[in-house]
Amino acid sequence: MILARFLGPRVFILVAIVLAAAILVPASNLLLPASHPLHVPSYLVPLFGKYVCYALLALALDLVWGYVGILSLGHGAFFALGGYAMGMYLMRQIGPRGVYGNPILPDFMVFLNWKELPWYWTGFDQFWFACLMVVLVPGLLAFVFGFFAFRSRVTGVYLSIITQAMTYALLLAFFRNDMGFGGNNGLTDFKDILGFPIQAGSTRAGLFAASCVALAIAVLFVGWITRSKLGKLMIAVRDAESRTRFIGWRPEYVKLFAFTVSAVMAGIAGALYVPQVGIINPGEFAPVNSIEVVVWAAVGGRGTLIGPVLGALLVNYGKTVFTAVLPEFWLFMLGGLFVFVTLVLPRGIVGTIDHGFDAFRATRRARAAEKGEAGGQDAVPNPAE
Amino acid sequence: MNRLIPWLLLCLGALLSAAPGAAFGQTPEADPAAIVQKFGGKQSFDATEAVVSELAATGDERVARALRALRDGDLYWRKSDEKVFVATRKGDDYEIFDPLSGDSAGTVAKGDLEKVRVKNSIRNAVTGALGTLTLRADNPAQRMRAADTLFSEGDPEMVAPLDAAIAAETDPAVKTRMQEARASAVLVSDRPAEEKAAAAKVLAARGDRESLNKLTAFAAATGDAAAKKAAESAIAAIESNIAFWNQAQNVWYGLSLGSVLLLAAIGLAITFGVMGVINMAHGEMVMLGAYTTFVVQEVIRANAPGLFEFSLAIALPLAFLVSGAVGLVMERFLIRFLYGRPLETLLATFGVSLILQQAVRTIFGPSNRQVGNPDFMSGAFDVGLMSVTWNRLWIIVFALVVFAALLLVLNRTPLGLQMRAVTQNRRMAAAMGIRTPWVDALTFALGSGIAGIAGVALSQIDNVSPNLGQGYIIDSFMVVVFGGVGNLWGTLVGAMTLGIVNKFLEPFAGAVLGKIVVLVLIILFIQKRPRGLFAQKGRFVDA
Amino acid sequence: MNSAIRWMQKTAAAATIAAFGVSGALAADAKPSGEPIKVGILHSLSGTMAISETTLKDAMLMLIDEQNKKGGLLGRPLEPVVVDPASDWPLFAEKARELISQDKVAVVFGCWTSVSRKSVLPVFKELDSILFYPVQYEGEESERNVFYTGAAPNQQAIPAVDYLMGEGVKRWVLEGTDYVYPRTTNKILEQYLKDKGVPAEDIIVNYTPFGFSDWQTEVSKIKEFGSTGKKTAVVSTINGDANVPFYKELANQGIKATDIPVVAFSVGEEELAGIDTGPLVGHLAAWNYFESVDTPENQDFIKKWHAFIGNDKRVTNDPMEAHYIGFNMWVKAVEKAGTTDPDAVIAALPGTEQANLTGGTSKMLPNHHITKPVLIGEINEDGQFDVVSETDDLVPGDAWSDFLPESKKLEADWVDLKCGNYDTEAKKCLGDTMKSN
Repeated sequence: MILARFLGPRVFILVAIVLAAAILVPASNLLLPASHPLHVPSYLVPLFGKYVCYALLALALDLVWGYVGILSLGHGAFFALGGYAMGMYLMRQIGPRGVYGNPILPDFMVFLNWKELPWYWTGFDQFWFACLMVVLVPGLLAFVFGFFAFRSRVTGVYLSIITQAMTYALLLAFFRNDMGFGGNNGLTDFKDILGFPIQAGSTRAGLFAASCVALAIAVLFVGWITRSKLGKLMIAVRDAESRTRFIGWRPEYVKLFAFTVSAVMAGIAGALYVPQVGIINPGEFAPVNSIEVVVWAAVGGRGTLIGPVLGALLVNYGKTVFTAVLPEFWLFMLGGLFVFVTLVLPRGIVGTIDHGFDAFRATRRARAAEKGEAGGQDAVPNPAE
Repeated sequence: MNRLIPWLLLCLGALLSAAPGAAFGQTPEADPAAIVQKFGGKQSFDATEAVVSELAATGDERVARALRALRDGDLYWRKSDEKVFVATRKGDDYEIFDPLSGDSAGTVAKGDLEKVRVKNSIRNAVTGALGTLTLRADNPAQRMRAADTLFSEGDPEMVAPLDAAIAAETDPAVKTRMQEARASAVLVSDRPAEEKAAAAKVLAARGDRESLNKLTAFAAATGDAAAKKAAESAIAAIESNIAFWNQAQNVWYGLSLGSVLLLAAIGLAITFGVMGVINMAHGEMVMLGAYTTFVVQEVIRANAPGLFEFSLAIALPLAFLVSGAVGLVMERFLIRFLYGRPLETLLATFGVSLILQQAVRTIFGPSNRQVGNPDFMSGAFDVGLMSVTWNRLWIIVFALVVFAALLLVLNRTPLGLQMRAVTQNRRMAAAMGIRTPWVDALTFALGSGIAGIAGVALSQIDNVSPNLGQGYIIDSFMVVVFGGVGNLWGTLVGAMTLGIVNKFLEPFAGAVLGKIVVLVLIILFIQKRPRGLFAQKGRFVDA
Repeated sequence: MNSAIRWMQKTAAAATIAAFGVSGALAADAKPSGEPIKVGILHSLSGTMAISETTLKDAMLMLIDEQNKKGGLLGRPLEPVVVDPASDWPLFAEKARELISQDKVAVVFGCWTSVSRKSVLPVFKELDSILFYPVQYEGEESERNVFYTGAAPNQQAIPAVDYLMGEGVKRWVLEGTDYVYPRTTNKILEQYLKDKGVPAEDIIVNYTPFGFSDWQTEVSKIKEFGSTGKKTAVVSTINGDANVPFYKELANQGIKATDIPVVAFSVGEEELAGIDTGPLVGHLAAWNYFESVDTPENQDFIKKWHAFIGNDKRVTNDPMEAHYIGFNMWVKAVEKAGTTDPDAVIAALPGTEQANLTGGTSKMLPNHHITKPVLIGEINEDGQFDVVSETDDLVPGDAWSDFLPESKKLEADWVDLKCGNYDTEAKKCLGDTMKSN
């Protein structure tokens, strides 16, 4: 309950729902018979898992965009790097079960006549090493990139565009077959993770639960950061960077911290995503994907903890439904949704609801004050505050 | 239309030379009229090729007409009697001509004729045969082409006929080519070494890659020291020549790529650079311009084929209007609610871009649409060793003209003045009586319209498909940001710099790595100059 | 706060209802003549690949329509289920899963790019369904659940190179987009050319990125390489979008087919529809089908296609024919098996014969590839191809190339060996492609 008071009841409920889903969805999928009305069909489990990973990614972006005001158009890159690290582990787990039966080399290296594993693939047969890389590679890239960019005071659209350049350059690089990451086809045909067959229902359920737990921890973590003193500083940097600097803080370090933490979160999301979808390829680096992440956060409401999670779930759910029901017209729906949200719900869904509540409460208080006593001017909150 | 012109020229040329002229190597018993009929009936490619060499062996200049028709796919045989004709489309039917004399033989239905099948090797055989046949043709362009063919072939047998042709030649340009062709033949002949050394000098003067290859082969094969030395010094001269022109070519390619980037980005320099709208639908404005060109060409093809040469000129204002109108609608119904919230314009315009893409896909279908090049945009000419294609040249010129016009609009018209005023200080401008919403709308429409114009140009070199815009949007943003937001000159310099750097990297880094390096350079450059090449200065920059 | 919670609960409930409602709505659309057999169509209708794949979706709809006119299959109507995987490779896997698990389709026709096929493969294996893949591809694969009706490299690339060698070509430019199909094809061709005695300095291999549009440098490089006096040809595995600017640049720099012919494996009638082919006359393509082939079957197919699509100018192409063959083979196999059960149909498919549109009879082989004729065509002025060479017999598709060291020893046979990658040296089935049933 302390947590609930600290983060507000809504966030608490979100965490509770996510954790409940982590238990209930797998349980209903594995335990209930298929005919039972509450049974979650097997194909939905990885689909939901994918949504949850996207939600985690959106939350990561929200940490830098919503709270620090850095619009990153390159978060897909961190997501994909985390995914590749996990993918490399999964590739090594295939072992001699590839089509050529080569115990060391992945299939794509065999048919391109590679003779030995490139040095950067060493260690990825160990799960712990892959996990380390999932965190380290995106984190390090974000740290180096952010260190130079924030130190040089690259801000606003300039920063957005160079993050886009970063993911675009990585996209082109990973497309190259000479890079040794499988080129356009990427990494696929995974067999098992930590010894569990990746196609099995229980593995899927476990991965789904793990994604939910990761999301719940991330929500709590971001909530904790943003409500700490550091969080106040982040918001100060977002709202008035120059003033924050003049007061004596170093905004670049605040930004660097948030950017790096956010990249690590994105990397973890990617790592959880890959075993559930079964493929990682350079398409994940496409700038358009990163823009979509921004869109999720904006639809849900940036600068809130619930918004990005909700936005990611809603938009992706909509995409799933419309690509099947209206295959020829779903882009109209999706495009229309973005336009609608910016015009009608500029704060996003959650932001608009909050705003509505605040306005409602303000008027009610104002009315109550008017009724209470004629001279009670003090009770009316000054809107300018 | 395109197909007809050379054909008419050919008829004309043939009529003029119809009188059986002095031909060399003529065998009296071969009757070209009989041989040409052997093309009739279904037969193998080998048989057709044999007929070509038989015809060429007659040395009769009249067979040139039949051979050229064969190469261009205009030679047919009638199904009823297997007689061979040259045929041209006339409405739904075909008008047929005698393959040698060119006399009209009436019109027949399409179904009555069967085309004489050709393939590349036959076309090559025809070109070779025509080379010897047309060395003495009346048309200097034909003689020139014949000389060039002979130059590539380097056939020692041709030295004598070339000597005769050179003696009779009056056109100095053609004469030079013939001398080069002779030199190329001499190098591989068994003539004396001094003559070969002289020939090497002629090739050195020509100085292109083909000469280099011929000289290299000669230098390796010859036993004569003096001739070898002459060849080697010629090779060295040509190589340094080529190295110089390679650099020139890189600069040219860079400028050409730069002008494409400039065209793609210049509209964005207005909507994004001047107005601060992160306009993700910019690429779709370019696409709309390209589709406008397509529609204009379709209408022209259907109704007034004669206007095809002017299709681009007609498409330009229309593309400006179409994209401009879409931009205006966007601004009035969407963007104007979002001023001061630049990042939200990203979201909304991204939505618009999806809708426009899908709309075009629904209306025009998902596949590429054909936009033709008018004749003045086709082909290439040589500057030194560099071949300059007309469409690239026109695009560079066009990009610069658009740039200049835009500068004029911004700096020399009342609208431009108001635009600058509004972007620099909106409230002050409003206080001075400028109708800022109106100016905003027009500025956005202008930026979009220019993107539409760019689409007309890009339709000449790229796919016209719903994905056209996607291919340019990222590069456009890079150019604008690299050059400095809000500065047109920055966009110009930025586009050209990126183009040239890219083209100098490409030959040794490869196309993919080259592009990656450019992106990394942009990222590093922004660290050095966080506001681009030409940073905007002033107190409102940080706002 | 309570209202917020209630709202969220409501949304969640609504979302769940919607999720199941969708499947219900689709299933409800049944026809009177018995339970329909559903056929999944998994082709991108948006994104970068829509350009090629949308036509295939229409072709499938036409084939299904034709079959229904003939009385359906097993007395039941066929019902197409169209989804849009949007050129997004993970989405292909998701949509495949949806088609099989939720819509319960009997078979799926789909995919274009190799990566989309690789993405859906595990899904088809896991859920044990059938995929018909209609596009020429790099080979090096044979899966129990997949039937490859497009060309393997030995049914396209090698005959094309043979043809050019016959035409006297001595120098080779292998130009491709940097992805797995060109990489593998060029590896095979390089080995093949070297085996035929072409020296290494007479071959260059070059790769460009997807959607590459500035071909100036590349084309001038080709021009330079081809100026040695030895006959030069370009073997192009350039992918869809990049082709139009490539050909435009070729034409503008004055490279004619008679000087340096380009033979392409990914350029068909559909791609040429976007280019003025006047300057390209004589450049080549190698396919297993051309619209210009004059057979009664083909005339009939084209006529039906024009009527179905309502546009006389729409062209037909090779992957459409592949779907035509694949669909009819599937129909025959279902009729033979008397059920749409995947295992029975997979068992019934090898050996199935179907007349193709170029006058021969294609046969499904035990390696799940089919026999096809190889045609070499020259581009003509109408945006069509004139066939200049044709193999005497149908060529059987070879899953594992003989020109790659690692795959030489592999063999695919799902009838006797029950294995997609049988090692003929070690006499055992590699990997875990083997399925126990």
